[in-house]
Amino acid sequence: MSLEKIEVDALVVGSGIAGLQSALDLADQGYSVAIVERNPSIGGKMISLSKVFPTLDCASCITTPRMASVSHHPRITTLTYSTVDAIRREGKTFTAAITRKPRYIDEKECISCKRCEEVCPVFLPDEYEQGMGAKKTISIPFTNAIPQFPVMHPEHCIRCGACARACPKDCIDFLQEPAPVEIKAKAVILATGYETTPMTAKKQYGLGALPNVISPMAAERLLAPHGPYGRVLRPSDGMTPGSIAYVQCAGSRDKSIGIPYCSRVCCMYAIKQAILLSGSLPIADITIYYMDIRAFGKGYEQFYNNARAMGINFVKAKVARITEDENHNPVVRIEKQEGTSGPEEIKHELVILSQGLVPACDGSKFGLGAANNEFGFVKLSDETVSSAVTDGAGVFVAGTAKGPRDIPDSVVDAGSAAIEAASYIRRL
Amino acid sequence: MKVNPELIDEIKKYGAFDISACFNCGNCTAVCPLSKEDASFPRKLIRAGHVGMEEKVASALEPWHCYYCGECSATCPREAQPGEYMMALRRYLIAKYDITGLSKIFYKTGWLQAWLAAGLLAAFYWLYSSYTGDFGALAGKIELAFPVYVTIALGGYIINMYRHTIVKPLGGIKASLKPAHIYDTLVHGFTQKNFNGCEETDWTRWIAHLLVMSGYVLTLLISNLHLLSPLDKQYVAFGPVSLLVWYSGLAILVGGGIMSSRRVLKSAQSSKFSHPSDWLFVVTMFLIGASLLFTHFLNVAYGPGDPLLAKIYRLNIAIETVWIILIVPFTKWIHIFFRPLAVYFQHVRKEAEAGTAFSI
Ligand SMILES: Cc1cc2nc3c(=O)[nH]c(=O)nc-3n(C[C@H](O)[C@H](O)[C@H](O)COP(=O)(O)OP(=O)(O)OC[C@H]3O[C@@H](n4cnc5c(N)ncnc54)[C@H](O)[C@@H]3O)c2cc1C
Ligand code: SF4
Ligand code: SF4
Ligand code: SF4
Ligand code: SF4
Repeated sequence: MSLEKIEVDALVVGSGIAGLQSALDLADQGYSVAIVERNPSIGGKMISLSKVFPTLDCASCITTPRMASVSHHPRITTLTYSTVDAIRREGKTFTAAITRKPRYIDEKECISCKRCEEVCPVFLPDEYEQGMGAKKTISIPFTNAIPQFPVMHPEHCIRCGACARACPKDCIDFLQEPAPVEIKAKAVILATGYETTPMTAKKQYGLGALPNVISPMAAERLLAPHGPYGRVLRPSDGMTPGSIAYVQCAGSRDKSIGIPYCSRVCCMYAIKQAILLSGSLPIADITIYYMDIRAFGKGYEQFYNNARAMGINFVKAKVARITEDENHNPVVRIEKQEGTSGPEEIKHELVILSQGLVPACDGSKFGLGAANNEFGFVKLSDETVSSAVTDGAGVFVAGTAKGPRDIPDSVVDAGSAAIEAASYIRRL
Repeated sequence: MKVNPELIDEIKKYGAFDISACFNCGNCTAVCPLSKEDASFPRKLIRAGHVGMEEKVASALEPWHCYYCGECSATCPREAQPGEYMMALRRYLIAKYDITGLSKIFYKTGWLQAWLAAGLLAAFYWLYSSYTGDFGALAGKIELAFPVYVTIALGGYIINMYRHTIVKPLGGIKASLKPAHIYDTLVHGFTQKNFNGCEETDWTRWIAHLLVMSGYVLTLLISNLHLLSPLDKQYVAFGPVSLLVWYSGLAILVGGGIMSSRRVLKSAQSSKFSHPSDWLFVVTMFLIGASLLFTHFLNVAYGPGDPLLAKIYRLNIAIETVWIILIVPFTKWIHIFFRPLAVYFQHVRKEAEAGTAFSI
């Protein structure tokens, strides 16, 4: 297989809101950029959110235009479904070894007609919907995915050939192989983002085995306009939950699970989701169990006060344990601190764990001299001087790759990474 | 209410070095399997300590309801070691109830008590060895004096605990004469039953405790009732008294062995932090078991006239003397005695609240 070679000014790893923004900023200044994303679509976490705090703007309405600008930009090359295997520093340039994973379709021919998806007989849990909905073994990842190419999952495919027969362009290719790509760039921006702390992080919270204890990403999908059920239902039996609880700091500020830092966004997204829930389920009781509410940004305190005024119940208590009753109703155990304090067990019908943010990718593995901080996020060389410069020359960082932050902060960071990268390239 | 800003530093002298990290989240109280609506701990007591509510801490019964299972420390988001704090409170309270002031000195000065114990042991052994009269008869008298001393020592504690936890906060002498309450207290005293209330029952710890406790109570019985006179007659290897002795000695050795190996390996949360007095307690107990067994073995094997037996028996009595004087009133041993009392006082408080307590 021939090696595809790309030469650009800057390589951006990760296409979340931070990666998109820094790529756009650089390209608009006239630099050429390659953006590499391991998922089949660009957009990162933000594209799967419902609405965003504190304005309650629709998340995909903000993300989709940026994704489109990136994919149509004449100076940006987008590589999706591609992994960065290694980046080598050679003098003043970086050479990145990338592998394009096979989608098992011919991307040059595919016209995104979805015929293959329509005829495929095999259903899989849809990871974009956090496992709640179903998708076909060959399918376009989600409605507003960019690019609009289907991906086939050969491990589930029964080789029935229906997709190949249905495809009007004859582009199904069962024998497609991973393809190597080489990118040469003068600067690298790490925008590799975050993952949420796993459901199994805290033994006392049921290890992901309680069906009605769900992740906040799943809640985002339940609330999203194109969500898996089109409305808010609980997973175990499809009931509309009448009592919903948020467990704050479920994956942060907890030394017993090794994550002592505050994840900064979970108080706010819990409040946001609570507000959205009271919109879609007006009679539901919503409780937020918190240690303290960290609403620090512009307009955030107001947002929190609005939530209180709407009747969302804020209870100061760290949830110590979650169990369930025979109907899979989660039962949280807390110390009630008001009045006569004492341990108490409270039953809800749906519980959401406000998980924290952990690094999605070990940036130091590329050996570019960019070190990690003690929690595995990319470390800044001097926080007081720049919010994007790492210990590695020509290597910059943007967004949650350097630590938990919200979307506005990630966007600001991305701008600063783009500026730092541009001035570095110009000085070369 | 008076506030003592130095209170938390004072408590920290008894352990609980990490407690300032606590941010008052309540996780510990909610995970604690023994915390109840009417006796909620540890968070409330940590708070009371931090804000200097000395009287509240001094009158607290909750520390005695805690069986140190360590669940709270294992899950505390700040690693503030709340279980350790409860242990420190128990030491602090013992020091408070102790009229002699010795507990306070011992707890705060690490190994002093151990050195004192070693010195006393040497002194008593020397004293007993140089006694030229009938040592068997003397031993009988010494052993019969033990219960008297223990009663006086513990009596002081009871009165003071009562004063701090009932008389002061409730403003008078109150009691409960309900048979159910007295029965409950006795059951707790004999079985220390809350031990198994701990969430993940630590069977090894429980069995070790059971072995040591039963062995220890039997040893007390044997010595305080002066059941053994090894210098006067020879016992048969499997007679009733011998069986008692074999069991008690072995139970102490095996149980104590398990406990100390866990202390060394620090395998369980509850054994992660050891105060020197905890060691002193375990080691002395071990010595009692060993010397008792050895004495009895020499008697059974070589008869009452054996010269080594004479020495070992004196050593055995010397160790027991030190145990009674220095260990029983001033170490963790005393916890098993405060726990049922706390159960009883808790009942008294409830009765007092309901206005049904017996009062003067
Ligand atoms: C449930 C939830 C709700 C939230 N709601 C809000 C909100 O309402 N408002 C708000 O401001 N913030 C919110 N946030 C926070 C917000 O999601 C983040 O601030 C933002 O998405 C961070 O963007 P990012 O680009 O830094 O990271 P990401 O979105 O994680 O993007 C990183 C991208 O890099 C890719 N990647 C990682 N490693 C590699 C690699 N080695 N090679 C190639 N690609 C790689 C990933 O696949 C991903 O696409 C929420 C967070 C959660 C968990
Ligand atoms: S060949 Fe595989 S991917 Fe295509 S339709 Fe059949 S099962 Fe689906
Ligand atoms: S943002 Fe809120 S929920 Fe998240 S770690 Fe910080 S305090 Fe806890
Ligand atoms: S000791 Fe730990 S668990 Fe208990 S309240 Fe303090 S921080 Fe929370
Ligand atoms: S050590 Fe165990 S019994 Fe004591 S407070 Fe902690 S959890 Fe409760």
